[in-house]
Amino acid sequence: MSPFAFASASLEPDRYRESLADPSAGGYASFEGWVRDHNEGRTVQRLEYEAFEALAIREGERIVAEAVARFGVARAACVHRVGSLGIGELAVWVGVSAAHRGEAFAACRYIIDEVKHRVPIWKKEHYADGDSGWVNCERCATAPHHGHAHADGSAALPAHDYSRQIALPEVGAAGQARLAAASVLVVGAGGLGVPVLQYLAAAGIGRLGIVDGDVVEASNLHRQPLYGPADLGRPKAAVAAGRLRALNPDVRIEVHEVHAAPDNIDALVEHHDLVVECTDNFRAKFLVNDAVLRARKPAVFASVHQYEGQLQVYRPLPHWPCLRCLWPEAPRDGLVGNCAEAGVLGPVPATLGAMQAMQALKRLLGLDAGDTPSLVMVDLLGLETRRLAARRNPDCDHDNPGHDRPTSEQPLELEFETLADAFESGLELVDIRESWERAHDPPGLQIPTHLPLGELVHGRAEFPADGRYLIICAHGVRSLSLTEHLRSRGQAEVYSLRGGLAALRG
Amino acid sequence: MNEIEIQYFAVLRERAGTSREIVQTAAETAAELYDELAARHDFGLPQSMLRVAVNDEFAEWSRPLKAGDRVVFIPPVAGG
Repeated sequence: MSPFAFASASLEPDRYRESLADPSAGGYASFEGWVRDHNEGRTVQRLEYEAFEALAIREGERIVAEAVARFGVARAACVHRVGSLGIGELAVWVGVSAAHRGEAFAACRYIIDEVKHRVPIWKKEHYADGDSGWVNCERCATAPHHGHAHADGSAALPAHDYSRQIALPEVGAAGQARLAAASVLVVGAGGLGVPVLQYLAAAGIGRLGIVDGDVVEASNLHRQPLYGPADLGRPKAAVAAGRLRALNPDVRIEVHEVHAAPDNIDALVEHHDLVVECTDNFRAKFLVNDAVLRARKPAVFASVHQYEGQLQVYRPLPHWPCLRCLWPEAPRDGLVGNCAEAGVLGPVPATLGAMQAMQALKRLLGLDAGDTPSLVMVDLLGLETRRLAARRNPDCDHDNPGHDRPTSEQPLELEFETLADAFESGLELVDIRESWERAHDPPGLQIPTHLPLGELVHGRAEFPADGRYLIICAHGVRSLSLTEHLRSRGQAEVYSLRGGLAALRG
Repeated sequence: MNEIEIQYFAVLRERAGTSREIVQTAAETAAELYDELAARHDFGLPQSMLRVAVNDEFAEWSRPLKAGDRVVFIPPVAGG
């Protein structure tokens, strides 16, 4: 028999006992837990046990292995009931066979004590007065206790406690198992992505992919409190992964230290059940939109601007609108400002990010059956939300999304190690940052040609039509957007500096 | 003249200097109303970049307006 198992029908201790027979065993000890008719002064009529089985079996098997190793017994096993039990029914059985009685008793005691402490099993008591209530398993009621001697020698942390979400009738153990089996791709680990990642990891999503090619910057900290001053200059995706693994070791975290790009987005999306889009630029948002349409995966989009945010859920259903249905003319970055240009207070992306995490959980738990497509607008200054019903745009081709993407053979981005290399490339360098962004440039690293994007998009300046240009901004996002725009107008010899000035060495 | 309630978001709110106003207008469609307000508030954003919602539903720019309609102009937002 397996060392630890659940049974939904009556336990059969005689059968279990036989399976522990061993020629080296001189004795056998067992423990049986029964349903009693009272608890804390109340009369109990029956009990229900619910378990988070995938995790519980893993932890239960670990406990039995520890007992065998620690006490040197021949064989050991434990079976726990789930479902509805009457008074006097057998709730849990532990059996140990060993050469001597001392080890058998000790191992048996160890197993039942550890199972009660560590295995996620919830007990609902039905009382004589008609009332009922979930009783925390002992693991949940006691303070975390460290230092079990695990079979693999590592010190154990208590298992992550999901009892407060399992207690919701719409979630339950089955819902928790769905979350544990799910995988979510989070694109962007910034103001929106941080709360999305924190709440999805804490909720016990089985696998989380983090896509972010940026490093932590000082200006991020006020709205991305997963990061601190010690993280400055380190890759966001890797720092976030470390924090999230500590937050919930159950979750498998996958790190992708890249920006979402046409050559990687489909592979990233394909390996996940759902995508949460948390970037700060239209280019990436439309890239993700097109990829989820191709892969027919659900996605949760959000954006913020100063005190406001917008939220849109995409589901791969025939009548459901995508991002392009709402915005047929893909907006250009720089036109309406991102956090760097327009400013933002931390709780604004935090609110929208928490809403995204909630919508992701809803989808994974199947709680969105009644939802209709909409754009939700949140104004945190006026403290108002507005839900605008949205429809599929019949002109938007969901089978061929992003058809207006530039198809030029020429690469859009060029990579250089230093600014000197870029100057030597023969291209004219054009700095499209705003004036205030240039104010702190070191003297040796100045780009003479300056065309602020704000001036270009508002028509107060024109990008020169002739010549070969390398367009440069801080992180390569605005420059790529402008490059795509110019290419779409037929200007062939324009390139974007990949990663912007932040990617240059020295 | 119709009395229309208008709500602004993001860059339009900044340009208009208010998140909400009630106007008396002769504009017959959402598009005409936007042109009128864009001129008054110097919005600078072309109508093609925006969406309009009337009475909490996305609408066509050609949609005729009637007294008491609630109109929301929605610019795209990219911050994250």
